[in-house]
Amino acid sequence: MKLNPLTIKKILRFRSIRRGYYSLIIFMVMIVVSFFAELLINNRALIVYYQGNYYLPTYGEMIPGKNFGMDYEYEANYRELQKKFELEKNDNWLLLPIVPYGKFETDLKEGEYPPFPPSFERSHYLGTDNAGRDIVARLVYGFRIAIIFSLILLLVNYTIGVSVGIVMGYWGGKFDLFFQRIIEIWSNVPFLYVIIIISSIMVPNFTMLIFIMAIFGWMGMTWTMRTVTYKEKEREYVLAAKALGASNMRILFRHILPNTIAVIITYAPFAVSGGIVALTSLDYLGFGLPPPIPSWGELLQQGWANMDAWWISGSVVIAMLVTLIVVTFIGEAVREAVDPKMHTTYE
Amino acid sequence: MAAYLIRRMLLIIPTFLGITVMVFTITRFVPGGPIERMIAEARMQKIGGSTAGPISGDQTQLLSEEQIEELKKYYGFDKPILVSYFLWLGKVLTGDLGTSTRYYDPVWDMIKERIPISLYFGMITLILVYGVCIPLGVAKAIRHKTAFDNFSSIIVFIGYAIPGWVVGVILLVVFASQLEIFPLGGFVSENFEDFTFRAKVWDIILHTILPLIAYIAGSFTVMTFLMKNTLMDNLSSDYVRTAVAKGLSFRSAVFRHALRNSLIPMATHFGNNISLILMGSFLIEKVFNINGMGLLGYESVIERDYPVVMGILVISSLLFMIGNILSDICVAVVDPRVRFE
Repeated sequence: MKLNPLTIKKILRFRSIRRGYYSLIIFMVMIVVSFFAELLINNRALIVYYQGNYYLPTYGEMIPGKNFGMDYEYEANYRELQKKFELEKNDNWLLLPIVPYGKFETDLKEGEYPPFPPSFERSHYLGTDNAGRDIVARLVYGFRIAIIFSLILLLVNYTIGVSVGIVMGYWGGKFDLFFQRIIEIWSNVPFLYVIIIISSIMVPNFTMLIFIMAIFGWMGMTWTMRTVTYKEKEREYVLAAKALGASNMRILFRHILPNTIAVIITYAPFAVSGGIVALTSLDYLGFGLPPPIPSWGELLQQGWANMDAWWISGSVVIAMLVTLIVVTFIGEAVREAVDPKMHTTYE
Repeated sequence: MAAYLIRRMLLIIPTFLGITVMVFTITRFVPGGPIERMIAEARMQKIGGSTAGPISGDQTQLLSEEQIEELKKYYGFDKPILVSYFLWLGKVLTGDLGTSTRYYDPVWDMIKERIPISLYFGMITLILVYGVCIPLGVAKAIRHKTAFDNFSSIIVFIGYAIPGWVVGVILLVVFASQLEIFPLGGFVSENFEDFTFRAKVWDIILHTILPLIAYIAGSFTVMTFLMKNTLMDNLSSDYVRTAVAKGLSFRSAVFRHALRNSLIPMATHFGNNISLILMGSFLIEKVFNINGMGLLGYESVIERDYPVVMGILVISSLLFMIGNILSDICVAVVDPRVRFE
């Protein structure tokens, strides 16, 4: 792909803004790590060596306990298996992930009630939640769901917003007026309350929740794209394309759209953080994704309900803070790179 | 201008109808509505009252068919959706929001009780946000890229990244639960009635501080940066450069010329803040357990108390729309160049 020299200049300018550039790297690492979270945080062992055979239990079907010489049919408990291997002192060995607990797994102690404070000895580095589930696992898997959620939501909102907005701006007239009124009406809906009412009635799954959120979220991008297209269509290159006989579709998607990409990209990071916050808020109120799906909002709810367990709310708030600040820094840097502002200072 | 405002006023009508029809229809299709709940309650009483004798199937049905019909008629569930919607709308237009199916109180009285509390927080927040953000934004713009600017940016950025109610949760955990400086929520202490006047005031202040920080965290950053950026744009514009070049002191160039023009976008955000306070209160009132409108709305959704849900929807969407119009009027007042079509 050959990049336009202006685009290359923008990318270089973005790279020169160190805060934003490093934030982007950190954010990418966070996403990649969360996608391979099964290798780091899991109740299944990474690799098991048992009686001359190697097993890789991480992905794929569960391996029953009796395959490893335990006396049960259900999935092997690898933490116990490790202790057993150590006691037997033969060639068998296994390697556990850094956090040897699954996202739904509860780890209970006899005679005590969760939540348990952080403990390195038991590999609960951030403690457990009110049900005895490991907080690191809940945080990382919750992050993965939140980020996928907000990226898909972004895609849906932008697809609707860009196509409707660009058409509104280009054609104008009745079509434009009609959608203007609709947006005006739609953006006056107290949407958080309406979403809560809707999801109190039908417990939404992942797709449904994206659908509901998109219904109330497409207007922002539409309005921006309309304004931008409005300006762009008056420029000479559009006239030139028209004079050469280009079709409307070609003008819209081959000429105008590439020239508005800058605007679209500028808003994207803020839309991502908005999506994460919205999902967390709904989960906190109990109107988001149904339990036991790991989510930050649900953890915050637990931390709020059980304030003595400071490690619950503390870990979520710090995780949120890091994620959202990183995203905000990226957003600021993108904006600066796309539209550098020269400021005058007086002595 | 007048034509524009009239059009905006007229647009309230379709918006209002659209929202209420949508929610009204949804609430009609719900299992577990008020009638079902009453039947269940009656059944519970029956089971609790007469433990003797086998209870099976229809025998547990305490309410007779006629009684259920009567109840449905009373709540308007016996008619098609559109008919009962228009009945409801007719009542709303005469100022009657119906009766709560849970507490059997008039909805309007329930809302009326809660409005002052939400308004109390809303007004203080609004005053503080404008009172702090404008001077801070000006200071940051004048000292752009100095230590003061960078340091305050960090704090402001953290406030921006984290939504207000999350700030509230962590404030509660740190200052109320661990350090025990502030109360754990609510608006007044339990034995508030017995306090002397000074103790009462002090009690309310203690209960106000943490929620207030959470409220302010919501709109603080946007306003500060808006102030800073617009002022910096204005400072680099020709008329300020001319003023400075003609010998006006920098101080009066900022305060007499640039600042006045920079206040225009702040006015635009006035309406947004009104809606933010109304919407944000939802989560913050839940976190701090403050008995305001937001918490009432949340509880009524959970308890499926639909007359209250609809009532709050009516009030909050009206306030929301009026807020937006007010914001337009503000802009027009501050900036005489603005001509709405």
